[in-house]
Amino acid sequence: MKPLSRRDFLKVGGLAFLGTAGATALTQNNQNHRTEEPHKVHSSHVMQQGDHGDLPGTVGEVDHEKNGFDPTEILTDFDYGEVSTLPNGQTLREYRIVALNKNIEVLPGIEFPAWTYNGRIPGPTIRATEGDRIRIQFSNGSNHPHSIHFHGFHPGEMDGVPGTGPGGLVEPGGSFTYEFDAEPFGLHLYHCHVFPLARHIAKGLYGAFIVDPKEGRPAVDREMVMVMNGIDIDFDDANDFYAVNGIPFHYQNHPIQIRVGETIRIYLVNILEFDLLNSFHLHANFFHYYPTGTSLVPSEFTDTIIQGQAQRGILEFSYKYPGMYMFHAHVTEFAELGWNGMFEVMA
Amino acid sequence: MTQQISQPTTKRFTFRTLILLLIPIVLLAGVIALFLSTGGGLDLDSPAPVENLAVENYVLERNEIHLHVRNTGPEELTVATVIINEAIMPFTVTPDPTIPRLGSAEIHINYAWSEGEAYGITVFTSNAIPFAVDIPVAFETPQPSARTFWAFTLIGLYVGVIPVFLGIFWFPALRQLGRRTMTFLMAATAGLLIFLGLDTLAEALEVAAEVPSAFQGIGLIGIGAVATFLLLDAISRRQTAITGSETDRRLAVAMMIAIGIGFHNLGEGLAIGAAYNVGEIALGTFLVVGFIIQNITEGLGIIAPVLRDRPSLGRLALMGLIGGAPAILGAWIGGYTPSPFLAVLFLAIGTGAIFEVVYEIAKLIQKDTAREAMPMTVFSGVLTGMLLLWVTGLLIK
Repeated sequence: MKPLSRRDFLKVGGLAFLGTAGATALTQNNQNHRTEEPHKVHSSHVMQQGDHGDLPGTVGEVDHEKNGFDPTEILTDFDYGEVSTLPNGQTLREYRIVALNKNIEVLPGIEFPAWTYNGRIPGPTIRATEGDRIRIQFSNGSNHPHSIHFHGFHPGEMDGVPGTGPGGLVEPGGSFTYEFDAEPFGLHLYHCHVFPLARHIAKGLYGAFIVDPKEGRPAVDREMVMVMNGIDIDFDDANDFYAVNGIPFHYQNHPIQIRVGETIRIYLVNILEFDLLNSFHLHANFFHYYPTGTSLVPSEFTDTIIQGQAQRGILEFSYKYPGMYMFHAHVTEFAELGWNGMFEVMA
Repeated sequence: MTQQISQPTTKRFTFRTLILLLIPIVLLAGVIALFLSTGGGLDLDSPAPVENLAVENYVLERNEIHLHVRNTGPEELTVATVIINEAIMPFTVTPDPTIPRLGSAEIHINYAWSEGEAYGITVFTSNAIPFAVDIPVAFETPQPSARTFWAFTLIGLYVGVIPVFLGIFWFPALRQLGRRTMTFLMAATAGLLIFLGLDTLAEALEVAAEVPSAFQGIGLIGIGAVATFLLLDAISRRQTAITGSETDRRLAVAMMIAIGIGFHNLGEGLAIGAAYNVGEIALGTFLVVGFIIQNITEGLGIIAPVLRDRPSLGRLALMGLIGGAPAILGAWIGGYTPSPFLAVLFLAIGTGAIFEVVYEIAKLIQKDTAREAMPMTVFSGVLTGMLLLWVTGLLIK
């Protein structure tokens, strides 16, 4: 323990005076005035009354145009690829994905030197139907080796992991074509699998991969994709900000507009690095939850679910009443650091 | 012959001298320009910008937090995000979020903080470099008002003025003492002052760590302490040259002791005022009493050199005020505009002043011991003075 210096003593002594002889001089109506008995200090833990200050959030707007993407558009931007039919009658879906270094303005005034697929975070939402042939022409336009590792069935050399062949690690300037059949149906994801893995994911190399069942899912009025991510802006291997679809607080600043009674389906993916868990909580409502989307029968009717990294699931719900409704991580710390949004439900 | 030699050695500032003086400066400018334009063969571009933001102090008002920040980095920076206890908060910056080098700004956040709780604030610049400040105990920062003004005045009164005057009240009693005892008291005063000087220096070093690096706290201590020492020494020598009277000389030393102690008390007032502002508060009447006991020795120190003289009451009162009243001034400054920079400067001045006074006392003692050798008196006196503060400190802390 640090020995008390004369200065410490003076602080103590001087303030003792404030507490005693100076008591009359001190304001009696000052609610923060400290009395001489230390235990009274604890009894004065009072929340400030009246105006409760500002809510967490950001002021101003990031430059979506310069970023090259807008989370509001990402929400419903499903990439079905370039469609053709193979000689055997199988549907072929071709996609082009480029890995790019790109500065993304994640909060007004703060740029994150990201690594991206096609210049956006998350990368394009790849969508196909079970049994389709998927062909992804991947080229690496950055100055680090990268890959694409898909979750789902595929041969080992298409796994996008170093050591599994040329697709496991694509050098800067190089390219590789990943090709496999889309299965099983469900909600999956893809991400870079070059090491150090945590850094390659945290920098932004990930996206959602939706495989629809052959017969399709029951029709809904609106479908949305939400990829929950974190931003480690100072590279200390801990997230500083949290978000859905790349930009913290985006759906708080730009509420998602829906209507009373509309059926909503959300494809929810958690790719959050560094933190163990992420969660999704819907206000004033309950949703049917289909973990990994691999069954057409919901496993749960709830208002909060938890996902570890790479866990994902499909949510279905509709609103009974008009109003503004929050949705956010019920890891509330994440909510106040950016993972918070609003549904604006109109009559 | 002599004239012939002296002629060319006559120093005259000519146009030629000016040119000769300027040549190295012009060359230097050329080298710097070359270096800046070509990099001098070195790759000195930093991959990440170097930024430094010092949070000099914070002010808590109801539902509001204000941070006074200073850019102590090499280039301008922009405040981009403020996080309080793991929540991104909206904020405003006056005059501007972009702060020039060594410029300062105030960040305002509407935040419903709670009395007595702890807060951690992180300020991110636009280059995503975080700077943290802790609020260990949140409570409303005292604003300048008649009441707090009077409260700080009272603190200073207790910390500085009263103990010093109590010490001076020993004057009539101590006048009865013999020459040897008076020398002993002078030596004890020197001991007290050495202890106080070390303490002031240690405190200056401690506060220097809080000064933004661009202001070079340690260098500031050196400048403040050495300049004060030499200035007081020069004043003392000039006075000796003018009057020559030993009585006046002793009075001058007493006055200088008062000034040295005054600076010391100014530094302590600053510390107390600042401590009050950041909530480093612990309470106890016992400690105030102990504090008065310890500082009474300061008054004793002031009168020690003039015991054999007859200084006027007004003169004694003036010395008491000079020694004690700066504590009030310090409490005001520290309480309302705590600044580590000012604190270091004042503490450094205090250090220099106190050690110069020790030097003056040593000269006086030397005069006494020239008449009558009393080595043990000096030894025991100095040691007594130092032990007095050490032991009272031991009892109180």
